Amino acid sequence: MPRLPLGDWVDSGVDWLLAHMSWLFDAIKTVVEGMYDGINAALAAPEPLLLAGILAVIAWWLRGLVAGVLAFAGFLLIDSLDLWDRAMSTLALVLVATVIALVISIPLGIWAARSRTVSAVVRPALDLLQTMPSMVLLIPAILFFGLGTSAGVIATLIFALAPGVRMTELGIRQVDAELVEAAEAFGTSPRDTLLRVQLPLALPTIMAGVNQVIMLGLSMVVIAGMVGTGGLGGAVNEAIGQLDIGFGFEAGVGIVVLAIYLDRMTSALGTQISPLGRRAAAKARMAGGAKPWNYRPRPAFAVIGVVVLALVAGGMGIFGPSSGTKVNSATDVGKGKNITIGYIPWDEGIASTFLWKEVLEERGYKVTTTQYAAGPLYTGVATGQIDFQTDAWLPTTHAEYWKKYGKQLDDLGSWYGSTSLELTVPSYMKDVNTLADLKTHASEFGGRITGIEPSAGMMGLLKTKVLKEYGLQGSYDVVDGSTPAMLAELQRAYAKKQPIVVTLWSPHWAYSEYKLKKLKDPKNAWGKGDGVHTVARKGFAADNPDVGKWLRDFRMTEGQLTGLEAQIQKSGKGEEQAAVRSWLKQHPGLVDQLAPVT
Amino acid sequence: MSARLEAEHLHKVFGRRPDQAVERLRQGTDREELRADGITAAVVDASFSVAPGEIFVVMGLSGSGKSTLLRMLNGLLEPTAGRVRYDGQDLTALSDRELRAVRARKISMVFQHFALFPHRSVRENAAYGLEVQGVPRAERERRAGEALALCGLAGWEDSWPDELSGGMQQRVGLARALATDADLLLMDESFSALDPLIRRDMQDQLLELQKSLKKTIVFITHDLNEAMRLGDRIAVMRDGRIVQTGTAEDILLRPANDYVASFIQDVDRSRVLTASSVMDTGVDGHEADCACATATPDTPFTDLCALSARLTHPVAVLDEADEVVGVVPQERLVAFLGGESAEEVAAHA
Repeated sequence: MPRLPLGDWVDSGVDWLLAHMSWLFDAIKTVVEGMYDGINAALAAPEPLLLAGILAVIAWWLRGLVAGVLAFAGFLLIDSLDLWDRAMSTLALVLVATVIALVISIPLGIWAARSRTVSAVVRPALDLLQTMPSMVLLIPAILFFGLGTSAGVIATLIFALAPGVRMTELGIRQVDAELVEAAEAFGTSPRDTLLRVQLPLALPTIMAGVNQVIMLGLSMVVIAGMVGTGGLGGAVNEAIGQLDIGFGFEAGVGIVVLAIYLDRMTSALGTQISPLGRRAAAKARMAGGAKPWNYRPRPAFAVIGVVVLALVAGGMGIFGPSSGTKVNSATDVGKGKNITIGYIPWDEGIASTFLWKEVLEERGYKVTTTQYAAGPLYTGVATGQIDFQTDAWLPTTHAEYWKKYGKQLDDLGSWYGSTSLELTVPSYMKDVNTLADLKTHASEFGGRITGIEPSAGMMGLLKTKVLKEYGLQGSYDVVDGSTPAMLAELQRAYAKKQPIVVTLWSPHWAYSEYKLKKLKDPKNAWGKGDGVHTVARKGFAADNPDVGKWLRDFRMTEGQLTGLEAQIQKSGKGEEQAAVRSWLKQHPGLVDQLAPVT
Repeated sequence: MSARLEAEHLHKVFGRRPDQAVERLRQGTDREELRADGITAAVVDASFSVAPGEIFVVMGLSGSGKSTLLRMLNGLLEPTAGRVRYDGQDLTALSDRELRAVRARKISMVFQHFALFPHRSVRENAAYGLEVQGVPRAERERRAGEALALCGLAGWEDSWPDELSGGMQQRVGLARALATDADLLLMDESFSALDPLIRRDMQDQLLELQKSLKKTIVFITHDLNEAMRLGDRIAVMRDGRIVQTGTAEDILLRPANDYVASFIQDVDRSRVLTASSVMDTGVDGHEADCACATATPDTPFTDLCALSARLTHPVAVLDEADEVVGVVPQERLVAFLGGESAEEVAAHA
């Protein structure tokens, strides 16, 4: 069979779209971000307790008193986990994606219900959108829309579109043909047939579709978090990246609360607005009798309640505390200029990123830091969405990224070196000291080397070169996975003192956390170590000559880096900048050294 | 009296190149031959006319094309060939919009499975046609209420269709059709889904209503007894063609072919026949000066039997002017009840 260059076609298609259709993507981006900002501002403005109250009143109206109380409790839980702002931004993201999905999918579903041709074309297209792994669509989404909300919304949207279209089509097709014929027999126009007969009768099915759209949207939130949408999805990603089980669980619980709330509300809304559903509900209430927990405010009361709470909320927002940061005018080089730093959740990345965040803020810059996976991070810097990142392992580990994006990036030089890649075992593996020793202990290790992401540079090196040098190909399998999974596996085996060999690199916090042994590489198969480089978008150093110079001169010693990493590790999640501050206090003069003011 | 509704050489063909298929049918190609080519000729060359105030029944088994024929009359299906005229107006020449206007105002329809809108109350269902016409709410609710009362549903206006029995649901369907004041009612197996007793009730009620309303009705059924009960005239369909058109007695006594003859075997003749169709128009054997009971041409067959049992001579049939128009000897009654056709009875005499 000849090799079909499908991938090349896709590549050139994407390039063509980027070159010729960017105005369209920009327009879409503007709309999406406008909607998101609006909704997010509205959700974030009121006091959490008030908004929780509003949401609870809505639940009371739609489902009854118990639902109202539970909703209130759920949102209080989110607030008490300190996840309120993240939850609201996730809610805004899902709402925007849902609204856009419905605006597209309901008319499309109606059209498909009325035309077999449209239906036949739409169906495979939806299959493609829904089953194509979302990560595959994520990178083009970044290229088209840049990092952040719009890429996240579009990725969510694409995934969530299908049930909206399908359920609308199904709902309309399910309407008894004799009813449609009856409408026509009385001279109803096609438009009125749709509005008076088909849509009202299809409404329960369509609302089930809306419900599915929202649920799928929420399930995409975590994936969307990888492109920097923040919110609960971002929180989950950060937690996964740093193996922070507790925080991950908290963020997950936040998503679950949102999911249950949205699910119950939309399904109740389905019965509220569909004439048939309203009748069934009224019948059920009659049967149940007038008990206090069955009481539900009438729509008018519910609206009044929501409006009053909303007005109070709005009023409180005006008098709410406004945040400001103090800047010493003598060292105010940045004068409030915005700088965005992206980072991979690796320890040296977090440490150096928050170090620079603190230093630059002291110099009067406004700094935003966002966590990404390596791929999106490089894409973001290359497209100019992110100003710089400090965790580029060059020339070896990140060689693939450099090959693709190097031309759009400025290398500001290495600030730490050299690093090393290695296979590592716990120090209780007394007989295994070099790579050559692995050969005789293959059965003890089960013939497994626990690896990280298959896309990582060191994995390629390990499989193609290192194993071969030491004659290990036959006796060991390299297990692909992820960094967090590898670390979790290491932690598990370490606790039980079981044999394990993992891929690891220095610097890494695991070396201070556990007693580990780097396997010696006498044949130098791993090659020379990388330097950790700072990489900026093209032109960043020219736009910000001061920062550019500071970053070029940035160096850290192993003692400094591990000390800072340990401080951050000790302070815990969310306290990175505080940890940097207290570490800087122990190293007076370092700020002036890193960022001299001339 | 000119016809209210005329069907002229109606054809409906499903499949590829329908026009060509119609041409082939006109040249005498068999329906089965077309079927082999994947073409279904549902209705072939159907012509009839319906007078104002008449109940015209189209009778046929399932697949005979009667429902397709009905749907061409109000344009729900476009005829492949042929014409439909309503009060002389050619419906097949109208645009979609004009056709919808005709359907909204002049032609109503009653469906087999009632086709009530489940999301509307009984009143809203009955008012549906008026709503489409754009009649203001107060007036259409008043008129819907009147139509429901006419159908015996006063007091049920605020109920929902699924709360009613099948018979009551079909009364709502009938009220919905009557409320628009359309003169032509198309009834598609409207009573077939009801159980036999309710069906009888509905037939009686329709005949009762018809006495005062004088609508023009095209009624589709597969039940010959129903056709005989309701129809002023009956068209029998088979394989897409109308094989015979006539009154109930015409069909019963003078079946056009073996198919119709086999069809009428199960019909309860005593319910259909009247004195006029069984009498011997020669006045032989009439006891002129007998003072005993006589019959009129409309006297039902069963009443004739009762009369005949009490007489030793044939029953005399008198017209409005008390002139003797015929006599019914007992053996003639027995012969007709035994299923003999008019010719067979004449041959014996």
